[in-house]
Amino acid sequence: MKINEYLEKVKSKEISVVKTVEKILQEAKNSPNHFTAISRSYALEQAEKIEKNPEGRLAGLPISVKDGVCVKNIESSAGSEILKNYRPPFSATVINKLEKEGAIIIGKTSQDEFGFGGFSVNTKKIPKNPHDLARSCGGSSGGAAGFTSFATQPHIALGESTGGSIANPASFCGVAGLTPTYGLVSRYGLIDYANSLDKIGTIAKTVSDAFLGLYHIAGYDEKDSTSLPQKMLQEKKVKKIAVIKESLNVDKEIKDIILSKLKNYDTISLPSIKKYSLPAYYLIALSEASTNLAKYCGLRYGQTLPLQGGYNEFFTEVRSKYFSKEAKRRIILGTFARMSGFRDAYYLKALKARTLIIKEYKKAFKKYDILVSPTMPVTAPKFSEIEKLSPLENYMMDILTVGPNLAGLPHLSLNAGFKNKLPVGIMLTANHLEEEKLRALGEEVEND
Amino acid sequence: MKIGIEAHIQLSTLSKIFCSCPTSGSENPNTLTCPTCLGLPGSKPVLNKEALHQAIKVALALNCSMPTETFFSRKNYFFPDLPKSYQISQYEIPIGINGKLENIRMRRIHLEEDPGALIHKGNTTLIDYNRSGIPLIEIVTEPDFKSPNEVRLFLRKLITILEYLSIYTRKSEATMKADANISTTGEKVEIKNITGLKEIERALEYEAARQKKEPAEQQETRGWNSEKGITFLQRTKEEESDYGYIFDSDLPKIEISKSLQEEIKKQIPELFLEKVSRFKTQYKLQAEDAETLAAEKELAELFEQVATNIDPLLAAKWLRRDLMKVLHYNKKELKEIKIDAMHIIELLTLVKERKINDATAKELLIKLIEKPFSPREQVKKHSLEMLSSETEIEDMCKEVIKNNKSVVEDYKKGKQEALHYLIGQVMRLSKGKADPKETEKILKRLLQKTVVS
Ligand SMILES: [Zn+2]
Repeated sequence: MKINEYLEKVKSKEISVVKTVEKILQEAKNSPNHFTAISRSYALEQAEKIEKNPEGRLAGLPISVKDGVCVKNIESSAGSEILKNYRPPFSATVINKLEKEGAIIIGKTSQDEFGFGGFSVNTKKIPKNPHDLARSCGGSSGGAAGFTSFATQPHIALGESTGGSIANPASFCGVAGLTPTYGLVSRYGLIDYANSLDKIGTIAKTVSDAFLGLYHIAGYDEKDSTSLPQKMLQEKKVKKIAVIKESLNVDKEIKDIILSKLKNYDTISLPSIKKYSLPAYYLIALSEASTNLAKYCGLRYGQTLPLQGGYNEFFTEVRSKYFSKEAKRRIILGTFARMSGFRDAYYLKALKARTLIIKEYKKAFKKYDILVSPTMPVTAPKFSEIEKLSPLENYMMDILTVGPNLAGLPHLSLNAGFKNKLPVGIMLTANHLEEEKLRALGEEVEND
Repeated sequence: MKIGIEAHIQLSTLSKIFCSCPTSGSENPNTLTCPTCLGLPGSKPVLNKEALHQAIKVALALNCSMPTETFFSRKNYFFPDLPKSYQISQYEIPIGINGKLENIRMRRIHLEEDPGALIHKGNTTLIDYNRSGIPLIEIVTEPDFKSPNEVRLFLRKLITILEYLSIYTRKSEATMKADANISTTGEKVEIKNITGLKEIERALEYEAARQKKEPAEQQETRGWNSEKGITFLQRTKEEESDYGYIFDSDLPKIEISKSLQEEIKKQIPELFLEKVSRFKTQYKLQAEDAETLAAEKELAELFEQVATNIDPLLAAKWLRRDLMKVLHYNKKELKEIKIDAMHIIELLTLVKERKINDATAKELLIKLIEKPFSPREQVKKHSLEMLSSETEIEDMCKEVIKNNKSVVEDYKKGKQEALHYLIGQVMRLSKGKADPKETEKILKRLLQKTVVS
C-alpha cells in the first residue's frame, strides 16, 4: 500500500493504526539486526491516541529513526558503545516536527558507530541486507535502508548522511535515499559526526515517499544556526542532464544499468572532484569528528568506569574501553590533521580543496540541471569480503558520494536495476535547494 | 622588565553566549543549565547577539581595528569543567586587533565562552556548570608594562572604561581573571589564572623578585598560589598544549558591517580619559579631583548635575571627599543608594550661604544616603541653622569658660588643645549649631580678658 493511500484510510478510519503499528513493530523485531532499540510501548500508546483522533498530515505513519538522531527518553547511542543506554532529555527538531503531524516513532535503527563507515559493520548490532543476509546493508544508515527494504507496512526511515551515508545503503538495499541541501533540515538533536557535513534525510521505498518525509522535516530552525532561512525551490523542469565521466570507471554491468536508465544526456568531466574530494572529505570530516567525540569521556553521561586517578587517566581509560578501533583510528587521524605544524598542510588545505570542488559543481550546474553517476562502484559486498578490505579500500568506497556531500548538494539515490539479483543504485545530484528537480527525474527513472 | 597580560572579563548579558540560560539568578549548582551549555549530544550553539555587540563595543572603545567578517573556533583540551571538551573561542580573526589605551598596546580582543567551575570539598571535587557558557572577552596586551604596579593601574583604568560601557560592575572586580607573562633578564615566564587586581600585582612582584635570583633559562608556565604567595612551575615550553584549533562549523560566519560598527559607536559614552580632561577645563578642577570624580560613572554624573547649580569646586570637594567617606564608612556603593542631585544642591547651597555649619551638613549627608529628603525643610523643621548672633554665642562661651576653669588655666599656660576642647564644649552646648569660626574668635577674645583666680 502506498503511503498516501494509507494516510487517507487512517483519516477515514478505514484502517487501524494500532494494528498497522503492531505489525510493523513485529517486523522490526524480526528484522535482521535493523534496530538498536524498539520503542514498542511508546509507539502503541501513540497509535491508540491517533487511531481515536487522526490529526496531522502524517497521522498514523510509522517512522524509524537512525540511532544518531535523538528521541527523548529513548536510547540514542549513535551506534556506539560509549553512549550505550544514553536516553536524551530532548528530541531532535525533526522528531518534534514529525510527531506534531501525527507520525509514530517505532524505534532506532542500527548504524556504524557515529556514522564511521560504509557497511554498518563498525557497531555491535550489524544489520543484514534483506536481499542476501550474508551481505551488508551499506552504511552508515544501514539499519534504516535495510528495514525500508524489509518492511511491508507503510513506513519512512530517517537517515543521516555525512559523506554518503544515505545514498550508499539506499543503493545496496534497492530503495530511495534522499539527502537534502545542507541546512535545509535542522540538525538540532542530531549526534554530530562532522558539523559542516551532517544532513538528516529520508529513506523510503519510493521517491515520492522519500519526498513526503522531507517536506515534513525541512524548514528553518532557530535552534540550529546553520539552518537555512530559504525554502526548497519549486522549479521541477529537468532540461539537461550530464553523466559524470569519472564515475563510469566502475564495473561494466553497473555502468550499463545506469546508462540504460537515461535518454538524452551529455557527459561531463569533473577532474577536481575526482582528484580532491575523497582526501578533502576525510580530512575535514575527521578533524571535526575528533573534536565532536572529545566530550565522550565518562564524566557526564554514557558509559563510565570507577573514578580513580587523575582526570586524564580516567578519560583515557573510558575512551580506550568504549570506543571501537575505527572510532579511535578516526580520532587519531582527525587530531593529527589539525595539530599545529600539520594544520596548514592538511586541515586548512582540505578546506581550500572544498572551495574548489564547490566551484566546479557550480560551474557544471550553470549548464546542467542534474548530474548523474552510479551511487556505489560495487553492489552490496559480503561480510567476509568486507573483513579483507584495508581501511583505505574501505574509504575508497565513498568515492562517488563524497562530492555532493562536501558541497552540501542535494542528491537522490534510487534503484536502477539488479546485478546478480543485487540492487544497483543510480545517484542524481542537483544544485542547492533544487530538490524538486531530483524528484522530477527520479520519478521518471523509477517509472521507466 | 617586560610584562604583558591576558585579561578575561565577563560581559553583562542577561543570557549565556550560546544558549538562552540566564547568566545569574541562582546560587544552586547546575540549575542554570540546558543541553547546550552541558554539551549534551545533539545540542547546538546559537550566538547571543548581545554578547557580540558588547564585545564590539569594548573593541571600539579600546581603539581596535575590526574585521568585516569573523568566526568562532574550537579550542580543544580535556578538563572536567569543560562540557564539550572544547571551548568555543576565536583564533585566526578576533573581534578586534591593534587597540590602544594610553601607552599600552592591545594585540587582540576576542569573544569566548566560560567553562564551568570545580568546587573542591575535602577529598572530592564537584562540578558546577552554571558558569558554563557565560560570555567572556579576552583582552591580550603587548608586553608594554614595565612594572607590576603599571599593570594594576592599567587594569583599574580598563575597569573604569568597562563600567562606562555598562559591561563591568565593581562587585565583580575580584573575579577578574588574568594570565600574565613576564620576562626580566631571562626567558619569558607565563603565570596562569590569577584572580583579582591585587593578586595580579602580588604574583608579578613575586615573580620579578624570583627571576632576579634565578633567571628563567627556558620559557615556562607557572601557577600562582595565593595562600603561600608564591608561583610554582606547571610546565615548560616542550609540554605546551596544542589546542588543535578548527572552525566551529555549528556557527556561521559573522558579518560586522560598517553600519553595525557605527550604530554601536553611537552607544559609547564619553569615557574616563576624555571626561577627566573635560572636568579640568570646564570646571577648573584639580587633576586629582577630576580623576576621582570620573573614575565612577555614577559619581561623575552626580557631580555634573550638582556642578551646574553650584560652585563646581565646592561640589567637587563635598562629593569626592565627604560623600565618598560617608559611603565608604557605611560600606555602600553610590549606585545602590537613592540620592537626589537636587537635595545635594540644596545642602551645598545652605553651606555656601553659611546657613548651616559643616558639621550639620555632614550629619545631613549621612541621613541623605539612608533616604531622600529636602535638607532645607529638615533644617527648618529641626532649627538646625547655624547660630551666628554674637551675643548668643558669647553667652555660651562665657558659660563654658566658667565651668571649665582648669582647662582655661591650661590654655593660659599655652596649651592649644585646650582651646579646641572649649570650642567643642560650645558646639555641644549649641547642639552643633554654633558657627565654629565665630566661636573661636569670641573664645579667644574672652579668654584674653579672663583672669585666672
Ligand atoms: Zn544553557
